[in-house]
Formats: sequence, C-alpha cells, structure tokens
Amino acid sequence: MPKIVSIHSFRGGTGKSNTTANLAVFLAKMGLRVCVVDTDIQSPGIHVLFHLDPKEIRFSLNDFLWGKCEIEQTTREVFCTAPGTDNGGKVFLIPSSMRTGDIARVLKFGYDIQLLREGFTQIIAKLEIDILLIDTHPGLNEETLMSIALSDTLLIILRPDAQDYQGTAVTVEVARQIEVPNMYLVMNKVPAIFDRAATAEKARAAFQCPVIGILPHADEMMTLASDGIFVLQHPEHTITHEIENIARKILEQRTSPL
Amino acid sequence: MKHLPKWTRNLGLTLLAALAYAFLNMLSNHLLLPSATFIALRPQVALPFFLGFIFGPWVGFFTGFLGNLIGDVLSGYGPWQFWNWHIANGLYGLLPGIATYMGMKKIRTLRGFVLMEAIVVLTNVLAVAFAVFTDMFWLKIMQFPESLNSWILPAFITNTVQAFVLVPLFLVLAKFITITIETRVTLILSWLMVFIVTVTAIAITWTVWGDLTSRAASVKAFYSAGIVTVLVVIIGFIISVFLTYRITDPLSSLSRAAQRIEQGEYRLPELEKFSARSDEFGQLSRLIRSMAEKVEKRETRLKHQVAELKIEIDRARQAEDVKEIVESDYFKNIRQKAREFREPSRSKNGESQNADKGEDESGRI
Repeated sequence: MPKIVSIHSFRGGTGKSNTTANLAVFLAKMGLRVCVVDTDIQSPGIHVLFHLDPKEIRFSLNDFLWGKCEIEQTTREVFCTAPGTDNGGKVFLIPSSMRTGDIARVLKFGYDIQLLREGFTQIIAKLEIDILLIDTHPGLNEETLMSIALSDTLLIILRPDAQDYQGTAVTVEVARQIEVPNMYLVMNKVPAIFDRAATAEKARAAFQCPVIGILPHADEMMTLASDGIFVLQHPEHTITHEIENIARKILEQRTSPL
Repeated sequence: MKHLPKWTRNLGLTLLAALAYAFLNMLSNHLLLPSATFIALRPQVALPFFLGFIFGPWVGFFTGFLGNLIGDVLSGYGPWQFWNWHIANGLYGLLPGIATYMGMKKIRTLRGFVLMEAIVVLTNVLAVAFAVFTDMFWLKIMQFPESLNSWILPAFITNTVQAFVLVPLFLVLAKFITITIETRVTLILSWLMVFIVTVTAIAITWTVWGDLTSRAASVKAFYSAGIVTVLVVIIGFIISVFLTYRITDPLSSLSRAAQRIEQGEYRLPELEKFSARSDEFGQLSRLIRSMAEKVEKRETRLKHQVAELKIEIDRARQAEDVKEIVESDYFKNIRQKAREFREPSRSKNGESQNADKGEDESGRI
C-alpha cells in the first residue's frame, strides 16, 4: 500500500522544503517511486531545489483543483536514479502555481478536500507511486489540516527555538485530534554542542511524540544555499545519515487510509 | 644563478668545486701523514660527499674525479698514474648522490642523521676497497698485507674521520640538515666525541712524531691505534645516537601528545612508556597525563551543562490555541472527513488489523 506523508512545520524557515526534497531523493535512491506535492500554495518553493524553471510549469496543483487539467498533467519527473544503478527509483513533483493571481484565489476560496483526495488517489494509481510526500504550508490553516487529514504519517519539523516549541506543541495536539495514525518530530538546525540522544529524549518527553531525526546545523547545508539536493552532494554527511534514518522509520509504519 | 638551466649550473659548479678540491689536494699533499707517502690530511674530502648529497651523483662524482686528477697534475704526479684513485674520489660524491636519488630527504630526524653518517662510512669503505683492489690486482703497485699500514689504513682512517665530522657540518650550513632537537643533540654529542678523540690522537702523534718517522715498528702500532680511533668513533657514535634517542623520543612523544590534546583527544598512550621514568621526562609525562584527564573531565562536565537543551512550553497558551482551532467549524468538518477517509480501516477493528498486517508483510515497502 502506498503511504502518504505530510511534512509540516509551525513556522517558516525550518528547512521543511529542504528536508522534504532530500527525503524524496533518498527514498528514490532506495528504489521507490516518490511523488512530492507542493501544497504550500501561498509560498511555493520546493521546485527551486529540483532546479525546475517556473516557466516550464504548464499546469500546477492549482489548475487541477480548479478543474483546468487532469492530475497527471501537473506532474514532472525531477529526479531518477543514475542509469548504471537504475533501481526504478524516481521523484515526481506536483508544483504549486507561482502566479500571484492564483495564490490570491486560493487564499480567498480555499480548495476542496474531496478533490485533493481524489487527485492523490489517481496519481498514486497512474504513476504507481509508493510514497507521496506533501510539502505543507507553515501554520495551522485549513489547507494544512486537510493535508494532515489525508496523511497516514505526519512529520513535524522544528528548530531548537522557543517559538517553534510552542507552535509544535499546538500542532501535535491538533494533529492528535485529527487522529493521524503516525506522528514524528524531526529537529533541524540543532547546534553541534547538543548531545543527539539527550536532545531527542528531551523533545520526545516535551511533546509526547517520537523523535526520528536530529539534523545538526551544518555549514555545508548553508553553503549549498538551496541550490540542489544535499544528500546527493554529501553522501557521507551526518545530515544524510539522519535523512536515511527518517526514511527508514517512515517506511516501517502503517499505510494509507486511501 | 637562478636563470641558468640546471645542467649549466651543475657543470659550472662541478668545475669550480673540482678546481677547489684539486688546489686543496695539492696543498695537503705537502702535509703528508707520517710514513704514508701518498696519503694526506685532507679535510676537503668532505666536499664531494657534500655536493653529492646536495646536487646529486654527477656533480658529486666529477668533483671528486676531476679534483683528484687535477690535484695530482698540480702536485707533479701526472694525470693517469693513479687513475683508480680518481675513481675512488669520484665514488665519494657518487654514492651519497645516489642515496638522495633513492629518496633520501632533508635530514630532520635522528634516523635521517644516522643514515647519512652510515652512507659516509660505507662510501669510504667501498671507495678505499675499490682503490686497493685495483692497485693490487690491476696496477700491481700494492702488496697485501704489506701495504695495509702504508696505504690502506691511512687513507681509510683519515678520510673516514674527516668526512664523518665535516660532511654534517657542511650539510648544516647548507640547511640540508635542519636543526631539530634530534639533529642538534646528535651533532653535539658526536662532535664532542670526535673532538676529544682527535685532539688526543694529535697530542699523542706529536709526542711520538720523531720515533714514528724513524722506526717502522712504531708506525704499525700507530696505525693500529688509528683503526681503534675509527672504531671508537663508530661505537661512540652509536652510543651518542642511543643517548640522543633517550632524550628525543620522549620529547617527540610529548609533542605528539600535546597535538592530540589540542585536537580534543585526551587518551595519550604514547606517554605510557615514559611515565615510569624517574627523570624530568617521566615527571612531565605523568603531569601531562593527569592534566589531560582533568581537562577531559572538566570538558565533559561543561559539555553536559551547555548541551542541556531546554524545551519550555506554555501549557495554558497551548491549550487555548488548540481549543480555538479544534472548536472551529472548519476543523470539525475536516476531522469528520478524516474519519470518513480512515473508516474502512477502522471499522470492524479486529479484521481490518489483520488485513493491514497481511498487506504489510506482502507489500513492497
């Protein structure tokens, strides 16, 4: 059964899109067919990491939700494992529209959860997707709650920061009430002075939620500056190993309600 | 000099050095050793060794070869009368040069220094052996063992001792030997030893000079004493190397240990073997080890303090925020939808869990 995973953070700038993109590529390298959906309709950004030119995007998620196209017309293949080691792993991306008019329209009218669900079901069937990653919008607005409702796993990204803690505590509680089957925390940009195990335990105790990744703050990540996929450029880095842990943990879990 | 191609520089250098060697040879041919007619006090013997080490085998060889040839001419022996000695002198430069070709680098350590001195002694042995064998079996000038005292030992002893002392001096001046604690201590000990031996030998020679030149039996005794001198120098050198090692080994270990501490490593196995010593090195090793232990403990304690991540959540505010969201209509609507979507896998609990399990086991993930 395919999995649907929402990746969320309460505030912006936590590295949510970056983690999603790296997770997607890592899963593809493991031989899975991955689809990344950018539902961050208010401020889309994950296409940049995959070097997808906005001009090349003919149809976006918005177009599907407004009935302008079929869901498969919105997908773009953005990564596939190297020909020599081809294990069938691929990453497809469903981008969001970058047109300001489209963004305003979403803000005003929102979109239909039923339609979104159908879209996901279709794309999973047509592209034989193993795992669908939803890059959500920060905060707890209606679209985010919809994504969580459609997911069987919720990954919450947070930084060691007081405001993130407060927002994450609220998110965890709200997600519990939507009854998402699996929920995990990933801490990002953690200074190296913190002991990994102690930090993970602290967060688990504070949020009553398993912690499956502690990504250290790394100069290499900052140097990359969103220009490409970290796990491909630093295959031996601690961050890459953490991403691998996250990927394996997600795959262990129960599957989609769809 | 720098603009010239290497071979031009080397050629010029060789010619200059050969002329200097020849001139000095001519001078020292007049300062003949007692009884050995053709062998002289020759400090310049260090020159081909030195040039061989610095500029390679060819410069070394031709400095010795041409220098000896021209020197013989200047001294009135004729150019080819002792041609095999030209080659022997050439070997003085050739063998050290070959050593550098075979990977001998600038000398910084005790090991490098010992290797250099060993090459000097070995080169002397081979060069004299070559000259002696060609003399005996080809030119038939010498007779063995009759020539031992008149030719072979004088040449070997004087050349070996002089090269042994002067080659390292030149190499230090040319910075081929870098002054480190290891080379410095070896130099001090070996020079001191050679100085004492030489001064003693000269003093003895002076006192018995008149007898030596007149009586053949004493000459033999004198050169037997000479070979003892060489043995003393070599044994003394080995002892001085050992003493140097006793000083420099703990020092370089201490330096390595300090580097480790700098990199935040506090396990110092290299100091263990010195800790039992009763001298200052033993003291220092024990001190540094206990210091490292204490620093490690302190650092671990600090780390724990710093890395105490604090997560504080305002529970009242959290409850308020959650309440605001979950009581909104849109949330209730979404929760209802979510339940409906998940209904198939939630209804009839027992069955569906089994179904789920089956899927997991057979599924591709």
